[in-house]
Amino acid sequence: MAFWIQISPGSKQPIYTQVYEQISQAIIKGDLAAGDKLPPVRKLAAELVVNPNTIARAYTQLEQNGLVSTRTGAGTYVIDPKLRQKDAVHISALCERLDSIISQAKLLGLDYGELTELLNDRMKRFYHET
Amino acid sequence: MQDIIIETQQLTKYYGKTLALDHLNLRVPRGCIYGFLGRNGSGKTTAIKLMLGLLKPTTGSASVLGCDAQVLTPKTRGQIGYVTEGHRLYRWMRIGALETFQKAFFPDRWDSQLFDEMLDYFDLGKKQKIKSLSNGQRAQVSLALTMAPDPDVMIMDDPTLGLDVVIRRQFLEGMIHLIQKKGKTILFSSHILSDVERVADRIAVIEKGVLRADCTLEEFRRNIRKVHFVFDGQIPDVIDIPGLLHKRHNQHHLELTLVGTTDEQIKNAVEATGAKDYAVVDLNIEDQFIEFTAREKTKPLFQWEA
Repeated sequence: MAFWIQISPGSKQPIYTQVYEQISQAIIKGDLAAGDKLPPVRKLAAELVVNPNTIARAYTQLEQNGLVSTRTGAGTYVIDPKLRQKDAVHISALCERLDSIISQAKLLGLDYGELTELLNDRMKRFYHET
Repeated sequence: MQDIIIETQQLTKYYGKTLALDHLNLRVPRGCIYGFLGRNGSGKTTAIKLMLGLLKPTTGSASVLGCDAQVLTPKTRGQIGYVTEGHRLYRWMRIGALETFQKAFFPDRWDSQLFDEMLDYFDLGKKQKIKSLSNGQRAQVSLALTMAPDPDVMIMDDPTLGLDVVIRRQFLEGMIHLIQKKGKTILFSSHILSDVERVADRIAVIEKGVLRADCTLEEFRRNIRKVHFVFDGQIPDVIDIPGLLHKRHNQHHLELTLVGTTDEQIKNAVEATGAKDYAVVDLNIEDQFIEFTAREKTKPLFQWEA
């Protein structure tokens, strides 16, 4: 496995979102490639010492967001990016999270230009081609 | 197959004139890890002892695996593993003798191999006497004794109280190991909320003997939030928002602690109060618990003069 999950219980972020985000980051950054198999829920639960339902929930969300696919009996696999869906539900979920980030930035006192600059800078880390 | 493994109905206990538990209704479903939370003296240990028939209720009842706690049959007792607060074991016994003693209560279920492996892992020998062990080692023996009969229900009263991080983690690993087997159920009380967050499916919060919350961990994490409203002018005295638990304010900021309030309801309140801006703040589980169990105090414990 080319990625490592590190969870922090007691932080603001629920554990299943931590697991979800670290796996989706690994997929987006390419540390996990299309066709790679995720560890079985029970194994990851034992390794991270986390309730198996928490891991299962993170996997379900990865599946709902079109990042992985679960084949009964065969495990959970990373989906080819070309086949990933970009439907309205996913976009609206994304917008919600962007809204929360933007309101946080406003509270910090960042203005429109400053936030745009910051976002551009962060995005460059993910979109290498531009 | 019954789905509720531990159930209390209107469970009430007085110690003399002191009310320790007040009409507690709990239902612990099969297959879940249930975190039982509450401040010191909130009634957790009393509730657990009542569930096991170790105390007599004043009124109401408790049952485990469908069997009334006051008349638990040996068969049902044999399906329950119980870890007492403080891991009280017979001090004069050697670990080996304690195993023989404990095994007698679980004649058909004792997994000697698991017990030996756990002792080995903990670097403990069967000839060691309980009174020569540290608190941590005694807790490890207690964990091995509870896990060896492969209990269908494991009930643990603050099992990690005062233990170091390594042994605490071993208890959590034990819980995850057991729950991964089919049909097992665990109820445990704890004050270490980051541990609870790791392993619990559901939590109950009791306060002064009264049940305050009984929900999935996820609902608890999602529903208790803080919102900051920022005002240009005067902060309104009255604010109408569903789920308001506490409010605090200084000159331009109003801080609200909310339970189960939707984003839409927050936005409505922003408009109704004429707040200039607002921000929703997610809390960690400790802060959620503190906010949830805190009563409105007019004065902080420590007041710092500016």
